[in-house]
Parts: sequence; structure tokens; C-alpha cells
Amino acid sequence: MAVHDDSNGQKKKSSDALDEIPTFNVENMQNNTRIINYSRTFMSIIGGVIAGILGYTALTGFIFYFVIMAITTVGLAAKTGFAVHSFFDSWNQIVFDGILGGLLSFVLFWTFAYDMVHIF
Amino acid sequence: MGFSHAVGVVGVLMLAHAAYATIQYRSLLKITEEQFMGPPITVVVELVAGLFFCLWAALTVPGKFLLILPQSDENRVVALPFNLDFMIFNHRGKAFSLGIDMKIK
Repeated sequence: MAVHDDSNGQKKKSSDALDEIPTFNVENMQNNTRIINYSRTFMSIIGGVIAGILGYTALTGFIFYFVIMAITTVGLAAKTGFAVHSFFDSWNQIVFDGILGGLLSFVLFWTFAYDMVHIF
Repeated sequence: MGFSHAVGVVGVLMLAHAAYATIQYRSLLKITEEQFMGPPITVVVELVAGLFFCLWAALTVPGKFLLILPQSDENRVVALPFNLDFMIFNHRGKAFSLGIDMKIK
């Protein structure tokens, strides 16, 4: 009968300096990444609905999406208290993660809201 | 937690109300046969307010960020397995350099 040892996977990242081995708590990193994805997905949907209501078409809508994503990025950075390196690996995660995935949700709800408000 | 949910719901309801107001505005424009330039200013204000409520809910509902540095206070005990003879702790022993040159002879 195997006893399950709930070991917290310590991910080692070796750097050049021998006496400095920065390790990260992977479970918390995954938790933080999951939070970013939830936030971005929800904001993409809300941004899509707003773009549809405002009647944006074509390029204006996509620019609006990137504006919404920039606002969300600033919001997430503020949520960390602007001490991003205590919570994430690098800036790339907090800035770029989930942007392309959210784009699809944005377009879906954008067309949905636009149809509801302006066409039917 | 319930308050953040409520704020999110309020934001979504404001968006729904703004959508309904825009639909009514468009039907009014159809009667007067004007072009749709943009929703009225009240609807735009309502959309901005709804956006901020939803933004706040999107940042607070999923949970707090957890520190990933191993030497922070809340990451001390890493694992307490079923067998209490072996416990794994996070301590500064990691910082010691691996200057040991081990060779298998």
C-alpha cells in the first residue's frame, strides 16, 4: 500500500553563481498563473460585450481589445503591489499571458453583442 | 468574497441595461431615420462604470496572489507526509554552495 507523500515540486533554476540557487514554489506559481488567466478571460468577455454595444467595427474593435488588455495588465500589476518579481517568474507572464486566448472570446462576445444590439 | 461577486454581478447588470437602452435608442433613430453615430452619452457613462465594476471584480474574485519565493514566511513547511518521521522544511541550507567535488573512483 503506497503512502502518498504530498511533496511540493520544487523547481530548480540554476544560475551561473554557484552559491545562489533560486528555487520557486511551483504550486504558488501555478496558482498565480491561473488567477491571471481567469481575470483576462473575464475581461475579454466584458470587453467584447462593450465593443458590441458601442458599435465598433473592424479595426476599432481590435484596438479596443488591446486597450482593455492593457488596462487589465495594469490592474494585475497593481494587484501584486507592483512587486511583480515576488509573485512571478518574469514580466512576460503578467503582460503577455492569455492575450491571444482572450482574443477569441472577445471576438465571440463582440459579434454576439453587436448582433443583439444593432441588427436584431 | 461575496461582496466581490456582488460587484461583478452589478457590473454585468449595468452592461445589460446599457445594451437595452442602446436597442431602444436605435429603434428611436429608425423612427426619425437618422444614422447611428454612437450611443447616447448616458449609455457611454454607464458602460464605463460597468467596465470598472467588472474590472474590480475580475481582479478580486479569483483569489489572492501567493508568494513564490521559498524563504518567505508562508512557505516554511513544505510537506508533512503521513509518516511523521520525515518532514520536509524550507530553510537556508539551500544557499550553501555545492563546492564538493565528488568523484567516483
